[in-house]
Formats: sequence, structure tokens, C-alpha cells
Amino acid sequence: MTRHIHIVKVHHLSLSFPTKKNPNPKPVLDDVDFGIRDGEILGLIGNSGSGKTMTSLAIAGLLPENAEITGGSIKFAGNDLLALDPKERRAMLGRDIGMIFQEPSTALDPLMTVGKQLEEILTAHKDPSMTSEMRQKTITDMLELVGFTNAVEILGRYPHQLSGGQRQRVLIAGAALLKPRLLICDEPTSSLDTVTTVSILELLKDLCHKLHMTILFISHDLSAVRGFCDRVMVMKDGKIVDKDVASEILTNPKNSYTAELLTNARLDTRILGLEPATVDYSTSPVLTAKGITAGYGRSLFERVKKKAEKKDTNILHDVSLDVYPNEILGLIGGSGSGKTTLIRTLLGLLPHEGSVKIKSSSIGAIFQDPVSCLNPSHNIKWHMSEALRASGKAAKGTDTMARITAVLEECGLSAEFLSRRPDELSGGQRQRIAIAMCLIQKPALIIADEPFSSLDASSSAELLKLMTDINREHHTAFLLITHNIHIVRQICPRLIVMHDGRICEEGTTTDVLNNPKSESTAALLEAERQIHGI
Amino acid sequence: MKSKSGYIIGKIIELILTLLVVSLLVFIAFSVIPGDAARVMLGPNASDSQVELLRAELGLDKPLVSRYFSWLLGIFTFNPGVSYSYSIDVSELIAQRLPVTLGTSAIAMIMVIIVSYPLAILSARKPGRLGDQICSVIGHVLFAIPPYVASLLLILLASSVFSLLTVGNYVKPSDDFFGYIGCLLLPSFAIALPKIAMSFKFLRSSIIEQQSSDYVRTSKSHGLSDFKILIRHVLPNSNVSSITIISIIMSDILGGSLIVEQVFNLPGLGRLLLSAVQGRDFPLLSGIVFYIAFITVILYFISDIASSFADPRIRLK
Repeated sequence: MTRHIHIVKVHHLSLSFPTKKNPNPKPVLDDVDFGIRDGEILGLIGNSGSGKTMTSLAIAGLLPENAEITGGSIKFAGNDLLALDPKERRAMLGRDIGMIFQEPSTALDPLMTVGKQLEEILTAHKDPSMTSEMRQKTITDMLELVGFTNAVEILGRYPHQLSGGQRQRVLIAGAALLKPRLLICDEPTSSLDTVTTVSILELLKDLCHKLHMTILFISHDLSAVRGFCDRVMVMKDGKIVDKDVASEILTNPKNSYTAELLTNARLDTRILGLEPATVDYSTSPVLTAKGITAGYGRSLFERVKKKAEKKDTNILHDVSLDVYPNEILGLIGGSGSGKTTLIRTLLGLLPHEGSVKIKSSSIGAIFQDPVSCLNPSHNIKWHMSEALRASGKAAKGTDTMARITAVLEECGLSAEFLSRRPDELSGGQRQRIAIAMCLIQKPALIIADEPFSSLDASSSAELLKLMTDINREHHTAFLLITHNIHIVRQICPRLIVMHDGRICEEGTTTDVLNNPKSESTAALLEAERQIHGI
Repeated sequence: MKSKSGYIIGKIIELILTLLVVSLLVFIAFSVIPGDAARVMLGPNASDSQVELLRAELGLDKPLVSRYFSWLLGIFTFNPGVSYSYSIDVSELIAQRLPVTLGTSAIAMIMVIIVSYPLAILSARKPGRLGDQICSVIGHVLFAIPPYVASLLLILLASSVFSLLTVGNYVKPSDDFFGYIGCLLLPSFAIALPKIAMSFKFLRSSIIEQQSSDYVRTSKSHGLSDFKILIRHVLPNSNVSSITIISIIMSDILGGSLIVEQVFNLPGLGRLLLSAVQGRDFPLLSGIVFYIAFITVILYFISDIASSFADPRIRLK
């Protein structure tokens, strides 16, 4: 049982961003009132822009300079935080309140070793009795606690020498180093793959017990808090619209908005009934890759050196695969398994050993992040014409325009989108543009690298439908990289699993998913089951 | 992963190759320029046989390839030959003039660093505030003034308005070191002004960019003070990109100094270069051009090595 003593009490808090032009804007936080009980894990859920991050920053005292608290109070262990001066509040961070953030890849200083960055926390909160050896001991102990078996070695590493999951562990170690009473986690797992997510959540739960910490866990994904949080609050438009015990809120939501969030999070129900084209495996493949071996850092000088040292820095090892016409071939694997490197090799963006044969004049590609894939200074018409020009199939005048609008329409976008720029589109729309840009080149194969990962469930479902439609009507083959098992089960007749730069399993999707033969496939499926409950 | 020594060895090989290419370009450039040094030296009234004799004496009648290699050997052993017009060793001539050019450049560089860094840090603390805006406007104005115009304005100000420094006098460092520094201050300042503006603008935006990065937020959440974050995280990270800019500024300053010397009537490499061009003095000309290129390439080499010390990721690439 959790003790019902509030460690944090947020009392009718309101916050806005006033400007000279608009001194009384719509509040970002509107009369937010809640308490965090000592020792509990409290989930704070809501769509982006609902105010959950602002709530956490207000508690930590890290609000942007132009934010103004217009009313209410925040108490931490009985002390009124808003009455403290900024220096005192800053000194509380790390000591009383720890924080971890969304993006572990950029949250560490790239120029400093892990050991130095962690030691800095200890020296900032001066404890004169601590010697340098004691600091080292505290740090290695904490690194071991967060799951590093080689803590001493990790101390001397730079952030770029760690994987995403390892970086997040280092950040957790930093946040927990001084054993703060409250740990605020702002979407700590959203950029991690499922297997890593499960291990990080387990670690947090473990720390919560061992160090008697209270956790405020922020996420936009309801399923991520399943089995992790004790209580859950739901935020919408700066207000808390629902709060309850986690098991209750996830199974019997009383609030209509919570119910909507729950349905939105469940992609599986929406994609039922999608029909990919039937595949004839006796025809010759559109893409054949044989014995692909590739890696980074292969300049002339390096190659000469490598031969001398016989050191293997390859990421892909002897990967072979075929993609047949009409097929949607699924490719899954944990982070760092070499999926993206394989894509880059197939697209001819990376030097490699082995052969890649493509039976088509053009292959298309869509990528994970639709924001940075489009040129922000040009409109959609420019993007479409550019794609058409690049394919070498451009015709003159009205013909081009007719074709562009036809393709856009097919992708569910009307002609009015032609004059819009990428920043005037939603994530789902941007991804449709990316598909439209492929489609206008009439490719026999489209390679899609985690196209759903930045989209919410409803946009993902629409995009999936579009992809299967294209597959059926244009007989376009797809090589689909995803970490979502639901999607694979639904639309991919065949599946490839990668691990450590090798293909560890290959076969029909039902076979692979129901009877995984390799350990890594089993681990992947187990993590999926824990997180998404399949 | 590549080791640091491996990286440096690679860079040294790159440096030597670059110098060879530079030497080839310099030699070819001066070989294809029309005009005959022997004829220029002897004057228009010399007979063809006299010119031939001198050509043979200077080695100009030998094939191009063998001339290149003997020139290359001379250049790399710091003995590029005897100047046609001064009849003194080129290396001695350059050594006489180098203190002026290097001194002006070094003082200008120090000015750039000690002025632009503090200003950029102060400006970036509160971007968009009045102080920042004033600095930016002044920066834009300074950026637009070419060094030779700034030189003239400074000469006018210093000599007639304030009567501070005697312009146009050069004191050797061996005679009076402070006098030497004093006579180089104004020219250095003229060269430094637009570079201060350039370096300020760059540093300011780089510091602002770093201040909004995720690791700064992490450091705040660890309870570090703003000052500590600036010194330990923001400045080292912004230095990674500024090292390259600083090295570009350095080579710019070197070029700028050649021009400003003319305006301030200082006996530096710039004036020597000009007279070498007029006299078709190939050994002198090629010597000066090559050694200036040499200094520039060395500056870039140092900046590469410095970058690799500042950023552990560079050694990976």
C-alpha cells in the first residue's frame, strides 16, 4: 500500500505565455490541481500540447522565461516552491527532484565522458566530506544499480559510444545519483524500441522501490503506462480531465476523452480488414540482394588500415534477401540490428560488398521522420514536380499538373495542398506527400523505414490503408521496416527478422510470429506483448 | 575506432600532400605567366645573346620538370634561391619582413578573440534585448568596412584628431619591443575590426544554439548553475564549430595584413610581394607565395588537430 502523504501538492495552478500583443492569452495550464503521493508512480497522459510537460517543468522550476504563473501554488514536501528564489530552486534539482527526458541521444554533452558528467552533479551539490575516490565509488555504484555490468569502463566512454538504451540508463543514473525523493520522467521511452522500453520501465520500477523514490511519469501513450503506474491522470487542453487508479482507468474509463485516447492507442482494431495483394513467388524478384556486407567509416585510408588490422567494423554481415512483385515484405529487429543500414545499402547510399539487383528503373523510399524529409522552403507542388523530374518521366505543361493532382488525390490529398508548405501539414499528411512523391515515379518497389513511428494510431491506420491500396492497385512491392507486430501480422505475408546485422529468421509471418526459432525474435515478441498486450 | 595518434598521422600525410599540390600550383602559375625574367633584369637594350647567357646562369634554359624539382628542394630546405632584383637570399629577405606581417596578424587575432568572445557571451545571455541589438547593429556596420578604408579612417583619427601615434614609422622589435607593438597597433586594429564583427556574429549564434540544446536542460536538471553550464558545456561545444571559423579568420587576417601594410607604409611581406611582381622576380615571388600558403595550410592543420582534441567524435569519422 502506498502512504497517502503528498510529496508534491499542485494547488490550482494556472500558467500562460503572455506577449505584448496579447497580455491575456489562453492559459496553457488551467486550474491544475493534484497531489503526488509519497512512493507512488503517477502517470500523466495526454496528447502533445495538453500541458503535461509544462506541468512537470513548473514543478522542477525549469519553465521557459516567457512563461508566467498566473495563479496557484506548488508545494514540495511542505515548502512553497514558488516563494523560493531561482538559485535555491536550481539547487533543489538533482538533490530533491531528478528529471529524465525524452531524447537520450542529445541529452548528454557530446564532449564529456560519462564519468565527468556524473561527477559534475556531485561537485555541484558540494559535500566537502566527499573525496574524489568516494565520488567515483558513488558513481560506479549507481551505474551498477542501473544495470551496467562494466561500470568502470562506462565512466570513460563518450555519449556517442553508447547505445540509446545505455544513454537513457546513464541519464537515469544521473537523475537518481543524489537519491532525490521525486523523479520526473518526461516520455523517457518514446524514442526507444520495445525491448529497451520494457527494460527501462523495469529499471525505473526497481529504483522506485530500492531508493524509495516517487515517480511522475509523463507519456502520450496510454499503453506505455500499462502495468507500470499506480495511478493515472489524463490531461487535455491544460486541464486534468480524469484521474483514477491505473487498472481502473485502462479497463473502465469513465471519462469519454480517456475512452477516446484508449481506442486511438489501439491500432490493431483499426487495421483489421486490410487486404494486401496476393503474391506469386514463382515470378522473379523485383529486388535481389546477395551477401551484403557493409559498415561505416570506410574511407580509402581506413580501408588500407583495416586490412592491416583485420578489425571488423561492419554492421551488416552477409545479408541476402529477395522481394517479390506484389509483396509487402516485413522487416523487424531491435534497435542497432542493422535495419536502417540495410536500407541505406539497398538504396545505394552506402558502399558495400555483395550485389544488389533491382528489376525496375526506380525504387521509392519513405523514411521515419516526415518533418526533416521535406524541404521547408518549398511547397508541395515543387516537391511533386521535383520527384517527377528526378524520375526522368516528366512531361510538359498541363500534363504534369494533371498527373500531380491525380497522384495527390489517390493519396487522399486534394489539389488545395499544392500551394502548402511542409510546416502547414500534419505528420500524417507529410507522410502521404512522401508516398505521393514515390508514387509519381511509378516505382516497382517502395522501401518504407518505420513510416509509422512518428504518427498517432489513427494517422498510422490511414497510412496503412493507403499502402495496401497502392500495393493492390499498382502492384507495387513494399519492403516495410517497423517495430509494430500488429501491422506486420496484418499486412505482411512474409517476414524477416534481423539481429546484430544478420538475418536471424525468415519465413511466413504466421510461422515466424507463432513459432519463433531464434532467441532475439522471442525477446522482441515478449516485449511487444508486455507493452502492447498482444 | 581510430586512435588519436592514427588520426594525427593521417592528418600529417594529408598536410604533406597538400603542400606538394600547392608547390606544384605555385610553380606552374609562375611558369606560364608571360615575360622573361632575364630580359626584365637586363633592360630593353640588351642583346639576345646577353639574355641567353643570363638565362643559362639563372637555370631558366633547363627543362620545366628539372627546374620544378630543384625549386622544390630549395623551398623545402628554406633556400629558395637569390632574388633577381635585390641580389640577396630570398629567405633572408622574407625573414626581414616577416616580423611586420606576422606581428600585425597576431595582434589582430588577439584583438578579435578578446573582444568578440566576451561580447558574444554577453549578447547571447539575453538575445533580443537592447544590448544584444546594439551589438548586432554595430557588428553589421563593422562587417561592411573593408580594412583599407578602416585604415584610412584610423590614420585620420589617430594622427590629426588625437595626435596619438606617429603613423608610418616602423620600429624593429630588436630595437624597441614596445615601440614595435605600438606601431603595429593601428594597422592590426584596422584588420581586426571586420573580423571582430564576423567572429562575434558567429559565436553569438553558436552560443544561443547550444544554450537551447538538450544537454543544457539535463545539466539544469542536475542542479548546475547557469555560469557553470556556460563554462563547462556551452562554450566547449560552441568552440567545436568556432575553431574552423577562427582558422578561416586567421588566414583572412594574413591576407588583409598584406594590403594594410601598404596603407600604413610598413615594410612587410605585402610590399615585398608587390615589388617582386613588378620585377618578375621569380625566386622571391614564388618564395613569398609559397610560404604564405604554407602558413595557411599549417593553420588549417592546427585547427583540424585542435578540433579533434575538442570533439571526441571527430576521430571517429
